[in-house]
Amino acid sequence: MTDPDHDLEQALAALRPRAPSAALTARLARDLDASASRRGVIIAWSAGLATLAAVFAAAFAFLSFTAEPAAPAYRLVRADQSPADLQFFRPVQLVDGSFVRPVRVRWDDTTRWEDPRTNTRMINYRPHDQLALLNLETN
Amino acid sequence: MSDAHADQDWRAWFAEHGARLRLIARQWTRSEADADDVVQEAFVRFWKHQRHLPGNPNALVVTSIRRSALDLLRRSDRRAVREKVVGDDMETVSWFEPEADPRLQALADSLKLLPAEQREVVVLKVWGDLTFDQIGEQLSISPNTAASRWRYAMEALRKHITVRTYD
Repeated sequence: MTDPDHDLEQALAALRPRAPSAALTARLARDLDASASRRGVIIAWSAGLATLAAVFAAAFAFLSFTAEPAAPAYRLVRADQSPADLQFFRPVQLVDGSFVRPVRVRWDDTTRWEDPRTNTRMINYRPHDQLALLNLETN
Repeated sequence: MSDAHADQDWRAWFAEHGARLRLIARQWTRSEADADDVVQEAFVRFWKHQRHLPGNPNALVVTSIRRSALDLLRRSDRRAVREKVVGDDMETVSWFEPEADPRLQALADSLKLLPAEQREVVVLKVWGDLTFDQIGEQLSISPNTAASRWRYAMEALRKHITVRTYD
């Protein structure tokens, strides 16, 4: 089917609408370029603030890490040993026929450590409890 | 119409389509200055908020122009009551670039003589690149009514240019 208006439509399409004025383009530029630059400024500020926040976070983490107190540097300031507590038992005969006397010895070792930089002290207390057998001479 | 969805510079897009957008705006405005205002408002809205929407960008931008033009008419009507503004310069400013071919020039002059309801259908079809269905949606008329106005317009234009050619 042929369109009787086709030639006229073609002729209309050949007409060139008058171009918008430079003033209109300038007005559009004011609206569109300004908003784009505003958006750019916002993005730049956001990026800047994010970077600043990251720097602060890293600095805080670094300072927290370095500000951690160093391990105490203790030095020995005193070492004590208590007198031994001896406890003698009755002699006993071993399977080989010999006689021995069991002796129980108890004492304490105490050491004191100090870190003058932090004014901290550590006391190491170690009790000892040992059993020994004293040979007995028999005739 | 080139793809407005792509990240194209608005200047390039407007340089290609601005003239016909302005011609469309002129159909619904009372003066050249009003047409500029409408194109500015509509194009900025389209470019900032609508060009990435799905669908035909051509129909979107025409809808944006129509909306801005109707808004302006409503505001102007209210203002006119107070100020009695008269600003229809339709007869004084050419809508088209001058044509060397007298038949084309006659056609351009004749277009202005059409009734507004026929002229807007012609402009939307030829320079808006819309179908009768889309024109019907824009103007809130049926596609058949749009097609009927188109036929009347073609008939009238044919008579005008025939008369002018033989003047």
